[in-house]
Amino acid sequence: MSDFYDDENFDDGFQENADGRINLGLWKRLLGYALAYPFEVTMLAISAFFTAISEIAFPLITRRVIDGVETEGASFDILFYGAVYFGFVVLLAISVASFIWFGGKIRTHVSHDIRRAGFDNLQKLSFSYFDFRPVGWLMARMTSDCERLSNILAWGLLDLIWGSTMMLGIAIAMLWMDVSLALTILCVIPALVWLSLFFQKRILKSAREVRKTNSRITGSFNESIMGVQTSKAFVKESENARQFGELTDNMFDASVLNKVQAALYLPLVLLLGSIASGLAIVFGGLEVGWGLVTTGTLIAFLAYARHFFEPIEQLANWFAEMQMAQASAERIISLIEADSDVADSPEVVARLGKNYPSNLAEDGFEPLIKRIQFQNVSFQYDIGGPVLVDINLDIRQGENIAIVGSTGGGKSSLVSLLCRFYEPTTGNILIDGVDYRDRGLHWLQSQLGIVLQSSHIFGGRIIDNIRYGRLAATDQEVFAAASRAGAHDFIAELELGYQTEVGEGGSKLSAGEKQLISFARAILADPQILIMDEATSSVDTMTERHIQKGLGELLQGRISLVIAHRLSTIRNADRILVIEQGRITESGSHEALMELGGRYSKLYRQQSLAEFSSTGDHWQA
Amino acid sequence: MDDRGKAKLLWQVSAGYRLIFGTAILAMAVGYVFMFGVPLLARLAIDVITEPESLTLPNWFAIISPNVDPNTNNLSLLILAAGLTILLTAIAGIFLYFRGRLVALASEGIVRQLRDRIYSHLEHLPSRYHDKADTGDLVQRCSSDMETVRVFLAGQVVEIFRTVLMLVIVLPILFSLNTEMAWLSLATMPILFIFAIIFFQRVKSLFLEVDESEARMTTVLQENLTGIRVVRAFARQAFEIDKFAQRNRDFRDQNTRLIKLLGVYYGLSDLICLGQICLLLVAGAFRVVDGTLTVGTLFAFLTYVSMIIWPIRQMGRVLTDSGKAIVSMGRLAEVLFEPIESQHETEPQGRLEGEITFQKLFFSYEPDKTILKDVNFSVAAGQTLAILGAPGSGKSTIAQLLMRLYDYDHGSIELDGYELSELKRKFVRAQISIVMQEAFLYSANIRDNLKVGRIDASPEEIERAAIDADIHESILRFPRGYDSLVGERGVTLSGGQRQRLAIARALLKQPPILILDDALSAVDTDTEATILAALKERRQGQTTLIIAHRLSTVMHADKIIVLANGKVVQNGDHNSLSKIPGIYQQLCEIQGAIQQQLETDIVEAEKRQ
Repeated sequence: MSDFYDDENFDDGFQENADGRINLGLWKRLLGYALAYPFEVTMLAISAFFTAISEIAFPLITRRVIDGVETEGASFDILFYGAVYFGFVVLLAISVASFIWFGGKIRTHVSHDIRRAGFDNLQKLSFSYFDFRPVGWLMARMTSDCERLSNILAWGLLDLIWGSTMMLGIAIAMLWMDVSLALTILCVIPALVWLSLFFQKRILKSAREVRKTNSRITGSFNESIMGVQTSKAFVKESENARQFGELTDNMFDASVLNKVQAALYLPLVLLLGSIASGLAIVFGGLEVGWGLVTTGTLIAFLAYARHFFEPIEQLANWFAEMQMAQASAERIISLIEADSDVADSPEVVARLGKNYPSNLAEDGFEPLIKRIQFQNVSFQYDIGGPVLVDINLDIRQGENIAIVGSTGGGKSSLVSLLCRFYEPTTGNILIDGVDYRDRGLHWLQSQLGIVLQSSHIFGGRIIDNIRYGRLAATDQEVFAAASRAGAHDFIAELELGYQTEVGEGGSKLSAGEKQLISFARAILADPQILIMDEATSSVDTMTERHIQKGLGELLQGRISLVIAHRLSTIRNADRILVIEQGRITESGSHEALMELGGRYSKLYRQQSLAEFSSTGDHWQA
Repeated sequence: MDDRGKAKLLWQVSAGYRLIFGTAILAMAVGYVFMFGVPLLARLAIDVITEPESLTLPNWFAIISPNVDPNTNNLSLLILAAGLTILLTAIAGIFLYFRGRLVALASEGIVRQLRDRIYSHLEHLPSRYHDKADTGDLVQRCSSDMETVRVFLAGQVVEIFRTVLMLVIVLPILFSLNTEMAWLSLATMPILFIFAIIFFQRVKSLFLEVDESEARMTTVLQENLTGIRVVRAFARQAFEIDKFAQRNRDFRDQNTRLIKLLGVYYGLSDLICLGQICLLLVAGAFRVVDGTLTVGTLFAFLTYVSMIIWPIRQMGRVLTDSGKAIVSMGRLAEVLFEPIESQHETEPQGRLEGEITFQKLFFSYEPDKTILKDVNFSVAAGQTLAILGAPGSGKSTIAQLLMRLYDYDHGSIELDGYELSELKRKFVRAQISIVMQEAFLYSANIRDNLKVGRIDASPEEIERAAIDADIHESILRFPRGYDSLVGERGVTLSGGQRQRLAIARALLKQPPILILDDALSAVDTDTEATILAALKERRQGQTTLIIAHRLSTVMHADKIIVLANGKVVQNGDHNSLSKIPGIYQQLCEIQGAIQQQLETDIVEAEKRQ
């Protein structure tokens, strides 16, 4: 999916700018990833150098051979020079194999390392980072950007060394053979450099346009397939085809432009080359006639005139590519270096390293959670106004709390704060009297079990998905958890049972089945705190009944927070909180709130009338 | 897909571009003729210098500049050779430019035609096809297989022609210059060619493995990012890091292996290519000493061979990739030769009234799994019919059959007395507005998504529909209101918001029939009541089908049918059905129990007050 993620439409503050200056500091940082392989980089440099040296050597040997046969005739040792030539051929072959070998290793390893650093940091970053960065955006950074930058680092480095050695070497060789002829030919160089920069920049730019349009086309295909029923239902086929036609027209224009630029550039380079050759023929020819240079020298000049162009083309290409890729570099570096705003403080980190007796948690405190307090907690996201205002809440071990209220009122935010996915903007959350920022983040989150509205299932087997709750669980424990969650029956009916592959994102399971698996996963985790965020709202009544059983099992003896909009399912909670516009407006048992006659009782009356089925009231189960 | 199918497809989609393509190849041929003249000029120049006495000028030279005497006037000859070098290159350049341009026009044009065609084809394939097809696989055919075909047309075909043309032009020149040397020039080419072919055939599977290991890595990454909440909730960061590290490492190592093999290949083939040139140099040098070869001719040989040997080295790769392109072409052809929905039916004049009759209807998605069995019911124009039933009982199937998304097997469905299967599909669909269970929204802004209902709807009408679907307020709260993008790049919508947008979209359409297929499941009951009230007010003689499982949604319908296992088990209205034992009554009893519970609750609450 990341392939068709289109950066253009997502304003992330990084500018694509082909005319921008190269930010050396940034590239130096990236170069650090390549320099982590000093041996390979050295070998790459050496092979690049010898590749260039051999290429420079060939015309010189040819020159010697031609001059030799011209002047010395039969006494000239052709075979010796043939052997020398072949020696350089072998050197070149080895150098080429070796630079591909080491360059390849650098490329794949740098890409791997950047990706790894990115992934590791993504696991640390708090949710506020993910709130404004879609998955597709992150995917593009971690895949295509990584490949692109590692390409520049490996092959760009190679071409830099090879290209500069080539140009320098050829220039020296030409000057050594004949200064005036060399200078005549070198005249063409500035024009070539300018031409190459001019075209490479444009060619790369239009190539980028092609890629972007291509991702949009892929996106369109995806959308047309996903939404085919809707398109049919609204008889949108011709309108869709018209819009798609616009896209393929754009693609046509962009691709043709790109190719025409290349089609123009190549002949112009050839023409410049022929001018250099022409100059060599006229002046070289004259000098040969005057006896100033030998025929061999002229032939070497003709060969060099051709070879000089490749490194310039290559270097211009990399220069343009670096300009284009700068935004990618900034993005990925920003991803790797982003700091999490939810992390263990240095004091906590210091405490985590110690060995505690087994009756203590990894951060040195009591492992059992007896009480959670919210003290004057207010919260807002990075963008937008206050979400929670002055929340005070006291939760005891084993308490089942239900949260109701309008969408956007702050229910999920309250839960996210408890999970420390975010931290309060002001106020404190205490666990057994200790500010939870002084406890280990990993410890706290290990105590959580969460079941969300749309349960996330990983690709792989059912058994692995349940075992995600506790990795060390035995098969028997997994089966037991599944039975308790009410998932065992449907799993047993599957041909492969627990070994069934669920497909990417659990695509082969129904919403209800996914939910049952996520219940089993939570049961297996045996958490101290259980969070359910509208966990049953997306399943039909039949499945819900099924789920109720598992639910009762899950809630017993734990602190639980249940967000629900089917009120009949929560009336037996120990406490019901009504949250409206960021505040707890009502709090108490079902009876107390009904008696109060406020928002809850109003909601309850409306819903009960409408409720279709509530036979499996889990609070009673 | 057989080869004839692929060829036929390629022939069809290249219509209108074949001439351009042919002209491009012709331009390339002419361009190369000029380009290959250049080394001959250099040869001439060198020979003028080295052996003026033995030089016989070709006839054409005298025609161009009759005044040049080779023995006395070296400078004019040299200038002439240099000038002609530049001129020939310039002419070759012009032709090569046209080649590039024409190839681009032709190949991109063909691909555009192919893309447009497959897109439209996909939209017209029957639902049965889409049910079975794997979205990922289809998208891959349309993107990467298409790209493979594009590269084939723009690159490999041209490359093959180029190599062949080069050989056709250069070989006669070489043989005319010196037969022995010409044979020597060809010495290693077959080895090189065969080596390249064998190598790329061998590593083909490795390329595939690299792609697969990359895909595996991407999947882990994607699952981690979409499931980041679950990862954090179970504090599984370390586990995830390990899992990803393994896939990341696999991809790295596979890729490194492939590149290393490529390194060996390029090293070895360079050895052959340059060894060939070395061989020519040595053999040529001996002949120059013998006097059987001029220095200029040796130079020409060296130049020509280094011009044609690299394309031949590339041939192995090109031919292997062409093989891939043929496979891709087949995968595209498979989709394109799949028959589309029938389109030949008739289209009655005007608008339907909305009378629906199902008679003895049987339907199955798969041969041995009958979904609907002998379904009979009718709805008069303007009536509301509610359909109740457990999941899988066939409720949505009825809606899909009415839309002609599927064709029924036995029995009959009539719309205003017309047999449904004899009506044009697009006509039928234009008569029906539907809100599906899973609301699909396009990745466009909200306004355009609503306009899907009716493309020429005015802003006022759009707003009205949004108000009726109780989504207007929510839309205004989005940062860009009606212009907010839907989807990952824009606002994230809750299930309820999606449903309400889909309802607003359906309301804009205003056809004779409205179907709500479990369309209110994700909205709260408060909102449901608002929407139902608005619907009632809005409805002007529309026949409405409501599929639901909440009693409150269906009880006011004119007619209610209850489905169980694909059969209509109850048929009536709320009053009649609630009185006879059956599923409906059970539902009412549950409802009654809640009602009772509620009343007790209220009484108790009042007592305490």
